[in-house]
Amino acid sequence: MKSLHSINQRQLLVTLALLLVLLAISSLLIGSEPWPMIQALFSHPDQRSSILALILTEVRLPRVLIATLAGATLGLCGAAMQGLLRNPLATPGLTGSASGAALGAVIALYFGLSSRFALALPVAGMFGSLLAMVLVYLLAGRDASVTTLILAGVAINTLAMALISLLLNLAPSPYAVQELVLWMLGSVTDRSLNDLWIMLPGTLLGWLLMLGCGHGLDALTLGEETATSMGIGLNRLRWQLFIAIALAVGSAVSITGSIGFIGLVVPHLMRPLVGYQPGRLLTISALGGAIMLLLADLAVRLIPAATEIKVGVLTAVVGAPFFLWLIIRSRRSQT
Amino acid sequence: MTTTMSFHYKHCYKVLLPGLLTLLSVLYALTDSALASSPQRVVSTNLCTDQLLLMLAAPTQIASVSALSLEPASSYMAKSAEQYPVNHARIEELLRFKPDLILASPYNSPSMVTFMRKLGYRVELIKPANTIDDIETNIQQIAIQLGKKNKGDALVRTMRQQLAAIKIQPQRKRPGGLFYQPRGYTSGRGTLQDEALRRSGWRNLASEAGIRGYQHIDLETLLRLRPVHIFTSAYAAGTDSLAQRLLYHPALRHLTAGTPITNIDYKYWICGGPMITQAIRLLAKARPVQ
Repeated sequence: MKSLHSINQRQLLVTLALLLVLLAISSLLIGSEPWPMIQALFSHPDQRSSILALILTEVRLPRVLIATLAGATLGLCGAAMQGLLRNPLATPGLTGSASGAALGAVIALYFGLSSRFALALPVAGMFGSLLAMVLVYLLAGRDASVTTLILAGVAINTLAMALISLLLNLAPSPYAVQELVLWMLGSVTDRSLNDLWIMLPGTLLGWLLMLGCGHGLDALTLGEETATSMGIGLNRLRWQLFIAIALAVGSAVSITGSIGFIGLVVPHLMRPLVGYQPGRLLTISALGGAIMLLLADLAVRLIPAATEIKVGVLTAVVGAPFFLWLIIRSRRSQT
Repeated sequence: MTTTMSFHYKHCYKVLLPGLLTLLSVLYALTDSALASSPQRVVSTNLCTDQLLLMLAAPTQIASVSALSLEPASSYMAKSAEQYPVNHARIEELLRFKPDLILASPYNSPSMVTFMRKLGYRVELIKPANTIDDIETNIQQIAIQLGKKNKGDALVRTMRQQLAAIKIQPQRKRPGGLFYQPRGYTSGRGTLQDEALRRSGWRNLASEAGIRGYQHIDLETLLRLRPVHIFTSAYAAGTDSLAQRLLYHPALRHLTAGTPITNIDYKYWICGGPMITQAIRLLAKARPVQ
């Protein structure tokens, strides 16, 4: 434990940031066909310039930026929720906030709201996310045991998914039903800069609100009473985080669909590196989440398949075994 | 009593004779049509057989068309389909029409087809057309089954004349275009769209890139093919979905220098029929002036 504590926090931050930049650059260069960018750089010059620039700026750049923002949001929100509820399973995916956001986005997108008013999409996502989160919180109660929280989360998640599927079936567009998979698994393919602008304001605002909670979360590890005695307004902290998560997850999920497991896995992986301090964990988890989603998105592009695999498939393939391992471990520690 | 009876018989005889004669003539007419094997209660269970049935059959021959035939975005014959009862290719529904010929496509439920055949109904499967030759074959096949061979031949002749009438200015270099549908699908070799593009003086960049049939194309791959024009057959205008939003991706507009995607309605080729000539005319018109 001591050696982990002694890891220099600044070094960790810089290493992760460098890794993120490296991954982002390779994401810009690597496409569905491996290395065409580098090949293209050596092809005849008149063919190169415009199309290369177009692919870079209009297709890959938004994709990389959206994946970075969405991954960071999920990592950050996972860390914040786990800190707030002091529960290792509290994540956007499990407590309904992601599927609630997807439900809000589906309502806005398929029933014509967002074609009249572009910001309706993230705003509906935020409301859906907040509603689902508050419902789970009320159902499970404060200081809920792991099982109660999971049960409440499963109930709200299932309800949200069922409503999404119902609404997609009722939607006037003949293409709607086929998009169920996207909302359930998430994807960052073929997005444009417009989508980036739509998700950016809510995401950034949510991040700022969340990063301001670091001190409160640190204090909360000592128990609610101690935290209150240290001058932390618990009610305020709780609502600030709920609203921050709703802003960030609502904006991200309404563009990418609900990408699972990043919010769960990343904070757990990073926690030992920051000496188990939830305040420090926030920034590090955001970086880790972005790295994980960029990696998954790169892998998705390199797997040869007729149509692209949804990025959520990969995060689930990595995340689900990890989730199982967490459950087994927590059961052992209980007995 | 006997007198009344004999009177009755005499009277009956007078009435029955003309009655019997008409009955005989009706029976004769029925056997005649049976001999000529021209069905009088035709039910079509598929949008594509609907189209050709509505073009070829006498109105009295049609018992029912599929429900999709009323949908104007995909049914070219939607107007004339309105006067017939519709079906949804469900077995119980079909039995009610007492059909003497059922037209179906290999895409219809195979269990419906085998069941109806087991009950002794005549079910003809018409393959979907992927080329103009296929369209001609289908027209002639259905025309013969309806006992309307001449009408079929005339329809094929008109289609050929219309095709020949589309003037394609010879160009030094044929412009490259392709189809891009919601969800990112394109039409490669062996599709009606491919043949239509080539017949209207375009190169189909999708089939040149080795795509066969109706397949997904990556947005980046599409950009690298550098089409000067993009066509689509998106339907359900006024609705929204991520699939449809793909067509408004800013990269596409940059690529074609602001030329908007041209929509060529699905009704011209979701089913192969003589209406393909109108799609080809629209494609030819969209060619850039050189």
